[in-house]
Amino acid sequence: MAVLEVENLKTYYYLGKESVKAVDGVSFKIEAKETLGLAGESGCGKTTTAYSIMRLLPENGRIVQGTIRLGDEEITALSEEEIRYLRWRKASIIFQYAMNAFNPVLRIGAQIVEVIREKEGVSKEEARATVSDLFDEVGLEPKRQRDYPHEFSGGMLQRAIIAQSLACDPMLVIADEPVTALDVIVQNKILDLLRKLQEKYELAVLFITHDLSVVAENCHNVGIMYAGNLVEVGSAKAVFKHNLHPYTSKLIGAFPSVIGEKKRLQFIPGTPPNLLNPPAGCRFHPRCPYAQDICKEKEPMYREIKQGHYAKCHFAGELSFEVIE
Amino acid sequence: MHILNESGAVSARTSVGTRRYIAQRFVQTIIVWFMIITLNFIIFRVMPGDPRQALLGEGIPPELRQAIVERFGLDKSLIEQYFIYLVNLFQGDMGYSFSHFGEPVWKTIFDFRFANTFILMGASMAAAIIIGIVVGVIAAARRDTLIDTGSTVTFLVAYAMPVFWIGLLMLMFFGFQLGIIPLAGTITRGYVHVNFLDYWRDYLWHMTGPWIVLTLSFIGGFYLIMRDSVLDVFTQDYILAARAKGLKERTILFGHAMRNAMLPMVSVVAVNLPYLISGAMITEFVFSWSGLGLLTYHSVLSVDYPVLQGIFLFLASITVFANFLADVLYLYLDPRIRY
Repeated sequence: MAVLEVENLKTYYYLGKESVKAVDGVSFKIEAKETLGLAGESGCGKTTTAYSIMRLLPENGRIVQGTIRLGDEEITALSEEEIRYLRWRKASIIFQYAMNAFNPVLRIGAQIVEVIREKEGVSKEEARATVSDLFDEVGLEPKRQRDYPHEFSGGMLQRAIIAQSLACDPMLVIADEPVTALDVIVQNKILDLLRKLQEKYELAVLFITHDLSVVAENCHNVGIMYAGNLVEVGSAKAVFKHNLHPYTSKLIGAFPSVIGEKKRLQFIPGTPPNLLNPPAGCRFHPRCPYAQDICKEKEPMYREIKQGHYAKCHFAGELSFEVIE
Repeated sequence: MHILNESGAVSARTSVGTRRYIAQRFVQTIIVWFMIITLNFIIFRVMPGDPRQALLGEGIPPELRQAIVERFGLDKSLIEQYFIYLVNLFQGDMGYSFSHFGEPVWKTIFDFRFANTFILMGASMAAAIIIGIVVGVIAAARRDTLIDTGSTVTFLVAYAMPVFWIGLLMLMFFGFQLGIIPLAGTITRGYVHVNFLDYWRDYLWHMTGPWIVLTLSFIGGFYLIMRDSVLDVFTQDYILAARAKGLKERTILFGHAMRNAMLPMVSVVAVNLPYLISGAMITEFVFSWSGLGLLTYHSVLSVDYPVLQGIFLFLASITVFANFLADVLYLYLDPRIRY
C-alpha cells in the first residue's frame, strides 16, 4: 500500500470573494523507500501541495476537494486536534531555510527534545539520548545539541533539520527545497545523507525543488507542476528522456548542460498565468507551441499514456519534441 | 555569570568578550551617572529664584540670616559648593530639607516615602506587565476576533483616559458612595493595628484604589507592544516549523513566540521605570498616597531645593542603571548577542 496517496486534490486561497486556484486537481502516490520529485516554476503550487498534506495552510487556504491518504488515515477529514496528533508522527518536513526553521533563542537539542517528548511522552533524558543518536546518524557531534542555531553553519543546520525530521520515526518526509540554500559540495553531502537515511528507515520522500538536476539525480519518480496542475508524472528516466508534455520538454530545455557543445538556452515565452483567473482549456495553451483549437476550449484529461507514465495533454504521446541529451 | 557558561564550548570562548562588554557598559554607566550628578548640581544653581529667599522668608534679622547662609555654605563660590556637594554625596549626605523641619534629605526620601511608592509602583507595573504580556500574546494568536478587538479597545480607552479623572471617579463611586475603598492615605489614621498582618491588610486595602488606576493606565502600552511584537514573530518560519511539529498551541505561543517577542519589551520596561515613579505623582496626589510623587509636588510648591535635587538624582540614577541592567538581560534573553 502506498504511504501517501493524493487524489484529485484542490487547494484554493480565498481573497475576499475570489479564489486563487493554487492547486487544482493533483493526483499522485508515493511508496515506501520511494522518492517523488515535485518540480516546477515558483508559484506553481508545489509548496501548497506539501502544506496541504501537513494541513499547514494559512487561514485563507482551504482544501476544497480531493482526498489525501497518509498510511491508513484520510487526513482531509480530520479535526485540527487529530491532525496535530499525526504531525511529525506520520509525516515531517525538512524546511528550505534551516536557519529560520529553528527558533533562534532556543538550543537546537531542546527543539528536537520538545517534539520527541510531545509525541512519545518519554523523559527528558531518554529524549536527549534519542537526539544524540540522531545527531550521530546525520554526522553531527552529539554534544553540539547544546548549541544555538546561530552557532551552526548552513550545512550543519541542514543536518540538524534532517535529524529533527526523523525524531518521531515518520513514514513520509517532505523535503521542501532542502538543498537550495547550500553550495553544491554541501548539497551533494546532504543529498547522499538523505538517500542513506531513506534506505535505512524505509521512508517515502516528497522532494520539492525547482532544480531539475537535483531531481534527476535523487528521485525515483518525477512530477512536473504547472499553474496548479500536475502535468506529467513518471519515472525519472521516462520524464527526462521521453517526456510527453510540451511544458516538461521546454522546462528541461531551459536547463544548461555541462557536457556536450555549448548552445543557447531555450526559454519559454510568456509568463505563468494568474491563478485568480486561469486560462480556459489547457492552462499551458497560451505558451504552448503545439497548441490547437481544442487546447483553448477543453481541459485535457490527466491520463496514463504508458505504463506508470501520466500526462495532462490532449496530444500526449503524439508529439515529438526536439531530443535533448 | 553562570548563565553564560552554561551553553558549553562555544560560549566559553566568547564569555571573555561578554565579560569585557559588561565591564565596558558598567564604566559607561558610571561616567553617565557622574555627568548626571554634575548636571543635577548645575540645574539647581542656574534656575531663577533664590533658594535663600525660600529658606528664610521675610522678616528675619540680618545676623541670623548671615549665620544660616554660612551654615549651608551658600556664601561660598559655585566651584567650592560643587566639591562640597560631591564629597557629601559620596558620604551619603544629600543635605537637609528646607521644609521638613531640617530633616536630612536622605531620610525625607527613603524613610517611608520611597517604600510607599516602590510598593505601589512595583505592584501596578508587575500587574500591568503580566496582564499586558499574557493578553497581548492571546490577542495576537486570536487576531481580529472579539478577544483581540475587545481587549485592544478596552486597554486603549483606559490608556487614553487621564489618571486623575479615573482616580476621582473611583474615589467618588467606590470610596464615597459605596464606601468599599478608603478615601485617602496609606493606613487608617488613629487606628491601632493589632499585629503586623493587620497592618498589611490595612495598607493593601488603602492601596487598592491607586493600584487599579495605575495598572489600568500602564497596561495599554505594554499590551500593544507585546501584541505587535508577537504578530511579527508569527510571520517567522520557526513558528510554522513549530506548527508542523504538531506542538500544542500553548507551547507554540508561550514557548516559542513569547520569548522572541519579549526582546522589545525589555527596553520599553527599562526606559519606563523612572517615568513610572515620577508619573505616579498625579495618582499619589489624588489618593493622598505619601510617596515620592507627592513629595515632588510639595517640594516644588515649597521650593525645597535639596529634596528636589535628591529626587531628581535618584530618578536619573534609576534610569541609567535600569538601562545597564536591560543590556545585561538581553545577553540572557537572546543567545545571539555575544561580544
